[in-house]
Amino acid sequence: MDTKADYYNRYFAAMYDTDRDAAMGIIQSALDDGSLTAEELLIDVISPSILKLEHDMVQEKKATLAQHYICSKISSEMTDWLLEQVDRKIMNKGVVILGTAFGDFHGLGKKIVGCVLNSNLYRVIDIGVNVSPETFVDTAVKNNARIIGVSSMMIHTAIGEEGARGVCSELERRGLRDKIKVIVGGAPFRFDDQLYKQTGADGWSPDAIEAVKVVDRLMKEKANV
Amino acid sequence: MSSARQRFGDLMSGQLPDRVPVVCNLLEQGAKEMGMSIKDYYSKGENVAYGQIRLIEKYGHDVAWAFHYTASDAEMLGSKKSIFPDDGPPNVGHLIIKSIEDIHKLKIDSRIFNTKSHQELLKTIDILKTELGKEYPILSAVVGSYSMPAILMGIEKWMELLFTPQAGEAVNLLYEKCSQFVNLRCQALLEAGVDMIIYNNPLASAAFITADEFKKKALPWIHKDVQTTGTAGMVYFNGGGEINPMLPALVEHSGFGAFYINPMDDIREAKQIVNGKGLVAAPINDIKLLRFNEEEVKNEVERIISEGKEGGGFIFGTLVMPYGIPEHTIRSMINVAKQAGQY
Repeated sequence: MDTKADYYNRYFAAMYDTDRDAAMGIIQSALDDGSLTAEELLIDVISPSILKLEHDMVQEKKATLAQHYICSKISSEMTDWLLEQVDRKIMNKGVVILGTAFGDFHGLGKKIVGCVLNSNLYRVIDIGVNVSPETFVDTAVKNNARIIGVSSMMIHTAIGEEGARGVCSELERRGLRDKIKVIVGGAPFRFDDQLYKQTGADGWSPDAIEAVKVVDRLMKEKANV
Repeated sequence: MSSARQRFGDLMSGQLPDRVPVVCNLLEQGAKEMGMSIKDYYSKGENVAYGQIRLIEKYGHDVAWAFHYTASDAEMLGSKKSIFPDDGPPNVGHLIIKSIEDIHKLKIDSRIFNTKSHQELLKTIDILKTELGKEYPILSAVVGSYSMPAILMGIEKWMELLFTPQAGEAVNLLYEKCSQFVNLRCQALLEAGVDMIIYNNPLASAAFITADEFKKKALPWIHKDVQTTGTAGMVYFNGGGEINPMLPALVEHSGFGAFYINPMDDIREAKQIVNGKGLVAAPINDIKLLRFNEEEVKNEVERIISEGKEGGGFIFGTLVMPYGIPEHTIRSMINVAKQAGQY
């Protein structure tokens, strides 16, 4: 087995067991013995591991959501740690602002998505729960973000004026709608794949794997503008 | 034509009713009927009772809800704040457990019955029993102990605690206390005259755990939750996630006699698994009702009923109907369900 595959398998097993210390030990040993660089660990070990876990949970029904949450936190922590050792400009795919819609206090799904995006080298700024449209837009402008992600667990916050719809209106009002893309996620959107259109958002995702794909796509679209 | 109560009675005794019963989970819509804000509506038990009565008069579905909102369970245990939106269900605004120490401090005893939340609910039950009880079954709901920690400490903190190696004892203690609460609540609801209790267990659905984990970790707490009352009148509710993967274990080991699946569960598969050992309630995906036209409503209701009706033991239902669904859509859905559900 080659070195990358060996480290990937060992790291994945440790992360899957939600053993943060073991996961960190494996990454540290790869760095210490010079087997892999921080860049290689990020691209070939951390990112594919969390995506495989997501696949196991969503497609294979092997992992639980609680496990996925803990694993995504481990993965995000490892990413932040490794990013301290690399050229951030090269390893940063862009800034994404994440938050839960105003009036909604559910933050779990958003946190998982944030950790998985972070593990895929996006700089994620999580602005918490119960966030007003103005705060979403202010934070995006301040941090030069190209994507705003609005999470909602309840239908009235998903399609209400203070949720993603309000974020889109606020961007419009400030003349930023073509510069900053908006994505949505959360339980109500999983029940109706057309629901995101009611909010005016540019895309939606049912899970963290898809979130990475949607953000990748929107970033490319943005780059081509 | 049978009354709604007779209809459910027939169903529960294994007979074919005159038609498929229609459960429509209209909750905050009662506030609109009463011309008041959701916060004012829930401040008095009589508001909810008369809101439910008006909803049944208006739409003609088959059950009355003696239920306020999930966050009121947390209020009974000391949560000092619930957040009332203008157009949806209230949220827990004050989490009562912030540390392991708080789990140890949490007391479950009959004082929960002195809380305003419980007293107002009793008023709702009493009025509904008097006004509608002869004709309609009265439903209420509890949150299962496996899911309840999420409304006491927040789901993220709870999940972190589940994976904290040294916290096993605290986790079990919290489950134990939640289960004591569920036992007390179920007993009180049944004693007050509720006919059916929807046992809501979202964290035990396939959205959160695997079928194996369900058997090992959730099922034992489901058993404990109904130790006092037994399972008569208890309906196992999906809580927003799929439960078909859990159904074999539920049917064989839980003792529940009715299973309220998720819109994403396959109805035929559910009926096959239950195989006459209980009732299956299958809901429409009511988020889509926000945009469905009349024909789409008709097609979807007829599909659900055609998949579940044969052989009886079947209930047509909804999830938690979004506040923004137009009235004509609700009427359409219920009328088509009544028509298509004729035996």
